[in-house]
Amino acid sequence: MASEAAHTSSGAAKQPLTDTTAVTGGTAATGAPTGAEADGRQRPAPGGAGAERPPAVRVSGLWKRFGEQVAVAGIDLELPAGQFVGLVGPNGAGKTTTLSMITGLLRPDLGQVEIAGHDVWRDPVAVKARIGVLPEGLRLFERLSGRELLAYTGRLRGLDGDEVDSRATQLLGVLDLAGAQHKLVVDYSTGMRKKIGLAAALLHNPEVLFLDEPFEGVDPVSAQTIRGVLERYTASGATVVFSSHVMELVESLCDWVAVMAGATIRAHGPLAEVRGAAPTLQDAFLELVGANRQQGHDLDWLGGAR
Amino acid sequence: MSHPSPEQPRQPRDPALPRPSVAQPAAPQPAAAPRPSFPPAGGEGTRGPLAGSGFAAPAPASVAVLVQVFAALKLSLLRNGLRQSSGRRAAYIASVVLVGLFAVLQLLGLIALRGHEHAAALVVTLTGVLALGWAVMPLFFPGGDETLDATRLVMLPLRPHTLIAALLTSSLIGIGPLFTLALAVGSVVAVAHGAAAAAVAVLAVALTMLVCVALARMVATANIRLLTSRKGRDLALLSGLFIAVGAQAVNLGTQKLSDAGGLGALEPAADVLRWVPPAAAVDAVWSVGDGSYGTAAAQLGLTVAALAGIVWFWQRSLSTLMTSPDSSTIQVAQERTRPTDARGPARWLPAGRTGTVMLRTLRYAWRDPKTKAGWATALGIGLLLPVVMVAQGGGSVYSACWAAGLLGMQMYNQFGQDSSAFWMVAQTIGTPRDAYLELRGRALALVLVALPYVTLVVIGAAALLGDWAAFPEVLGLSLAMLGALLATGALASARYPYSIPQDSGYKNVVPGQAGLAWISILGGMLVGALLCAPVLGLTIWLHVADHHGLLWLILPIGAAYAYAITHIGLRLAAPRTADRLPEILAAVSKG
Repeated sequence: MASEAAHTSSGAAKQPLTDTTAVTGGTAATGAPTGAEADGRQRPAPGGAGAERPPAVRVSGLWKRFGEQVAVAGIDLELPAGQFVGLVGPNGAGKTTTLSMITGLLRPDLGQVEIAGHDVWRDPVAVKARIGVLPEGLRLFERLSGRELLAYTGRLRGLDGDEVDSRATQLLGVLDLAGAQHKLVVDYSTGMRKKIGLAAALLHNPEVLFLDEPFEGVDPVSAQTIRGVLERYTASGATVVFSSHVMELVESLCDWVAVMAGATIRAHGPLAEVRGAAPTLQDAFLELVGANRQQGHDLDWLGGAR
Repeated sequence: MSHPSPEQPRQPRDPALPRPSVAQPAAPQPAAAPRPSFPPAGGEGTRGPLAGSGFAAPAPASVAVLVQVFAALKLSLLRNGLRQSSGRRAAYIASVVLVGLFAVLQLLGLIALRGHEHAAALVVTLTGVLALGWAVMPLFFPGGDETLDATRLVMLPLRPHTLIAALLTSSLIGIGPLFTLALAVGSVVAVAHGAAAAAVAVLAVALTMLVCVALARMVATANIRLLTSRKGRDLALLSGLFIAVGAQAVNLGTQKLSDAGGLGALEPAADVLRWVPPAAAVDAVWSVGDGSYGTAAAQLGLTVAALAGIVWFWQRSLSTLMTSPDSSTIQVAQERTRPTDARGPARWLPAGRTGTVMLRTLRYAWRDPKTKAGWATALGIGLLLPVVMVAQGGGSVYSACWAAGLLGMQMYNQFGQDSSAFWMVAQTIGTPRDAYLELRGRALALVLVALPYVTLVVIGAAALLGDWAAFPEVLGLSLAMLGALLATGALASARYPYSIPQDSGYKNVVPGQAGLAWISILGGMLVGALLCAPVLGLTIWLHVADHHGLLWLILPIGAAYAYAITHIGLRLAAPRTADRLPEILAAVSKG
């Protein structure tokens, strides 16, 4: 977590906070957080189901600073329930830090997080039973086999042993891990690790699932498997929040996106709204983070006469 | 050798390896290493066939050129040891100086032994031990010599026999070989008497060096699959333990030998070793001085034959290695499938969180190399100490308390042992009650092992010393100590967690957290000792006041005290753990 924060671009000057907020300008997060929230709430969800439900996640005034580096600079956000929510942003934007704070793995300096109406820090019991997490950059208990890891996680969550084993069998089957279930997780490939992590996060049938870069380093076959499981899961009314910097993936998967850059939220809302007039989310994203400057002339020798 | 870290292959200077021609300009070249002709020769020899223009596959690099390339490569690697962060450079220089000093001392000591009655036995044994060291070295320090990994050279157009000559030469350069040379020279000086013997001595030194180096290369090449796999890295993590045990063995050995006439004890071993290469070559020097030329010839012949055999086997495995697919493309053999989870003894563990945590803790004690090393050390030393003390004469049943103390120490930094996987635990802890069950499960897993083990050690010590009267009080004290350490360990785990580096066999604390670790362990032990004071005081008082008949009471009192204090410790640690989950996770994720 800390490492991503260390790469945050905004922390260079002595007083970066004002800079970033100034850059954010008229878009969502800064000017009038409450107004933006209310705005987001009233938008009809494309899925139809989520319009009347309270938000799955409500974040207000979230701050995190690592030494000089401001990793998250005052985020206000409401993530609609029952939808596929994508948190996109370049590396070092603060996505992992934000997700860690939302899931209770990192204590924020300031701000509040509510999941399904329960405060993450004041009511951890209610929150932890309702969420599933797949963090990025943290280990699993790798010296357990895939099946043992699921058995361990499920029982630790207080589920009945037989129920855990039958759920584990099904998850291992659906995620194509049945053949490797007795292999130690330390010997798994990246894709297999993500899948067993996902299985562990789903085992207790959470209301909200948080996935940090679930498709990073995953082969296309495993990615499709993960995608299938997630789609089936959201169809039941559950919420999936995941971070990524692969725009095509987010565009094809998400109903609702939040764009994060330089420790703040630059835009959020239903996919079509965030994309606006831009042809693809990728273009809209580059516009938002201000990275689409022309630089062709710098390399004009490249491909020229040899 | 200088940096036996398993992570070594990922050092930045590593890419230089497969491309010697690129490595050349990267390193500053003092006058000694390269001849002016070297860079073009090396460049043509290695790059030519790959570039393909005009070079219609002339003979791939000749032996002489290749030997030069590899020697220069090894020298660059050694020099690059100086081009690191200042801390590592200091460590590098210090290790070089230490090894050098040690080698000089050995050399002087061996020369001083010249003419000693048992000199031959000593040098023969020494050479044998040295060869053994070379043979096992690559297994425990796979990252020690980067040129050992021949798979990095696969892409180069090299023939095995040229490669062998070049690799052998590069192996002869370095601190380890220098140390070996000092030892070998000292050994032959100690036993060479006469001109003929001196001539044979030169041959013997050369043979010893070659056999040692080729042996290391052969072992490394034959096991490269193992060494680059996860199991190999696990093995390397246990090397710290190996060194500790080895140092104890050496310590006991030298103690035995420094007794009067102790060197004579080596004679039986030497009688065997003088026919085992490379010790045979060293003994041949003695044989020549002794006039038994037949024996000497046989010993030298044997060594040469062994060298040839080793090189042949090495070349064979090298060819196989370089022409067969890399281990990463081979499917790992399917482990034997096991039935469902509730099999075997695990069935008897309590249900719910307690049993789940215990099972995971016990599995980790066996499967995780770092945790395993900790447990093995505690169990091994706890058993060894009483035995060694008894063997040395001044033993007491009380030395069995060490077993309880060392096992109790395993309770410290529980969450650091999880490393960043602690998030999985943190996600399931919502209340102090959850944290209590988690800590209690871990403590119970320890007790499950410690209780029978400590009892057995105390029984063993009492039996060895024939002091059964002391049994109840020692066991009672041991239990009280175990309880105090479990209690303080649980508190320290919650209050002062720190990361344990997962990739090094030696480091148990990451830079920057040493203070935390000291507070955790030393402070914990001090408090633990204080907590033991009531039971200890009672024992002492019963002794002093001559109530020997009541000493058996220490056993039930100690057990009850241990139970109570562990309970209190866990109760106090639980809310602190539940409150500090993110802080604990941050502290243990740095490794």
